[in-house]
Amino acid sequence: MIRNLPARWDLEADVVAIGSGIGGLSAAITAHQHGSRALVLERTAELGGVTALSLGELWVAGNHHALAAGIEDSPDAGYRYLKRLSMDYGEDTAILNNVLHARVALQYFEEKIGLKTRVIPHCPDYYFGITTDAVAQGRLLEVLPFPAQTLGDWRAHTRVSPLVPYALTHEDIFEKGGVANMRNWDFDLMAERLQKDERCLGAGLAAYFVKGALDRGIGLHTGINAQELICDGSRVVGVRATRDANDVFVRAHRGVVLAVSSYERNAGYNKSLGQQLDLGSMVFPSIDGANFRLAGPVGARVARVPDITSLGFCVPGEETPDGEPLWRSALQPIGLPHTIVVNGMGRRFGNEAFYRSILYAVDIIDGGTQTHPNFPCWTIFDGQAREKYPFGSVMPGQDLPAGFGVRADSIVELAQRIGVDARALTDTVSAFNSHCAKSEDPEFHRGSHPWSAWMCGDPGNEPHPNLGPLLRPPFYAVQLHRIGGSAIPAAGVVSDHHARAVGWDDKPIEGLYVAGNSAARLETGACMQSGVSNARGMTHGYLAGRHASGRPSDLLQKERGRFGL
Amino acid sequence: MIETEQRISIGCGIETVWEYVEDIRNWASLMPGSQSCAVLNRDDSRWTLKVGAGGLVKTVIVAVHVEQWNAPAGVIFSYALQGEPVVGRGSYSAARTSAHETEVTLKLRVEGSGPMSRLWEAMSTPLLPQLAKSFAERLKLEIEDAARAAPPPAASGGRRSVLGSLGRWLLIRWRAIIRSGLQQ
Repeated sequence: MIRNLPARWDLEADVVAIGSGIGGLSAAITAHQHGSRALVLERTAELGGVTALSLGELWVAGNHHALAAGIEDSPDAGYRYLKRLSMDYGEDTAILNNVLHARVALQYFEEKIGLKTRVIPHCPDYYFGITTDAVAQGRLLEVLPFPAQTLGDWRAHTRVSPLVPYALTHEDIFEKGGVANMRNWDFDLMAERLQKDERCLGAGLAAYFVKGALDRGIGLHTGINAQELICDGSRVVGVRATRDANDVFVRAHRGVVLAVSSYERNAGYNKSLGQQLDLGSMVFPSIDGANFRLAGPVGARVARVPDITSLGFCVPGEETPDGEPLWRSALQPIGLPHTIVVNGMGRRFGNEAFYRSILYAVDIIDGGTQTHPNFPCWTIFDGQAREKYPFGSVMPGQDLPAGFGVRADSIVELAQRIGVDARALTDTVSAFNSHCAKSEDPEFHRGSHPWSAWMCGDPGNEPHPNLGPLLRPPFYAVQLHRIGGSAIPAAGVVSDHHARAVGWDDKPIEGLYVAGNSAARLETGACMQSGVSNARGMTHGYLAGRHASGRPSDLLQKERGRFGL
Repeated sequence: MIETEQRISIGCGIETVWEYVEDIRNWASLMPGSQSCAVLNRDDSRWTLKVGAGGLVKTVIVAVHVEQWNAPAGVIFSYALQGEPVVGRGSYSAARTSAHETEVTLKLRVEGSGPMSRLWEAMSTPLLPQLAKSFAERLKLEIEDAARAAPPPAASGGRRSVLGSLGRWLLIRWRAIIRSGLQQ
């Protein structure tokens, strides 16, 4: 191991968390609770990380809220669920460790920092109906609205999302018919929450943990960019960071926790690690692979799991505070009735209402021609969809902004205008319309996942929430672009069951921990399930904070035998 | 419908305040995120603004129509966001408190239209008071700064009055240039 001790230390703590999303904050809070001095280094001017941009879901199998509500579930079923879906690309011990500790960490933070969560009613696992270990509801939790006024001066420096309606909870949204039925939402409640700055979804989840850190006097340092780890020849003992172009040497007596999310804003890493080309991104520029740059020189091992490329679009006139285009996900609108996605040949290529299905097809390579047959692609919808449903920030009934999409009075004209075969597109629409009449999609099984109806569908649409024909002009086409998966990465730093980073020799790197999206997704393998990423961050942080404070969890050791591991 | 009201006291006489207010481009430039203002005629202008909320910055074009110019005490205007189902009205009222003090009241109203009107109004609820407050504070600052840069000759003497006269001359020339641009 390298030895690069500085001549001086500027800051000092037992545990230093790099990154202020749920992973870093969980680690700092847990370490503090176990007697360690902790501090957090945040590169940007705002706390909360990618957690604050998310929908704020926590996937926790066998959690106490579900059990109290009489929902039948267990960590065992949760383990079997993820193991089955990981398709053996994960590691069984990692899966079990995560499932066992997620429920413990949840209760821990509820007790210690006043985190308030509840079951999202009627929100099924992605694969409910596919595997018997899935549940119809109970594993997906969300926070109760958080009063951001209690953050004091940090309120303005705690991140919110430009992409999700963080003044409403899932329950508020879905009891009114979901995103499809936005016009039914309780806007008086939204106005009241915005006025009071009560935050829900990911912004609320992040704010609970920021408050937890503030209440403990944990040093929260923003605008400080970790550049390299400092080692004493045998272990990681600190961080060299920069602030205003000056070096800041931060000593970590017990450990450094890398919780800097992933590499989605690094085009080179996307290409070489994720095999993803030219991605737009919904996350901020600092998500650029700092986990690899920091952990690489101390020998951390990297692992990759199968992953997808998401699809999205930019609405003209919208940008980030940095002046960059604001990307929006197409996940939800492409699953709505009267809406399909076609490739350059005018053909559908996947189940638009289940992103895990269609997105695996986006980057398929046709080896015969060395092309991507399904990219570029377009979403096609009709006047019914435009009248009833939002498309990103374009509200129901509103014209698409100038320069956004193509509008035509017929499918043939639309095909000609976007440059796809008119006959093929006409046939595709005709076949889809025929499927809709029968309430089934024999080609791609659209709508077969209950989650699809819940997240992407219109519950009031007959005969099926995800199936509605494209009949009424005008017809629209919006080209979809590749975007990242909200910083949920294919590759990450390998960690053990105490969240310690692991080297290429399979031994833990003393003094270095890794949390959340910085860590390789060996708990999920080929699978992703909404709520898992936030739960991973919380769980990794909990494990790292305990281990670094000399109080490692022994839960896995107690339980693994029961699972034959 | 969402309404807000802001009152400010500006440390200048009502005529001085009016000199600033009667140029609609001054209004546009005080708006948070102001990008440009195209004056179509005495009463109509198009303001391009970058409005920020919750991490989103959106470029909007606002068509502003002044319904009444009541010099020096009032302006009544209406506006509409181009391409968005949002309209509104507002007013500027000025009252002489003293020879060197003017109380200004700004009222602003937002109305969404169409099926999503309540969404627009909900989003405007926290934004509108912030926007009006920011506008009012900048209005006060700009007018008082301009007045300080160009004090009336009677208030100064000696060398200071020469500089004051020069500043006032520059200010008058500047306004003349602005107005000639407006007429083009």
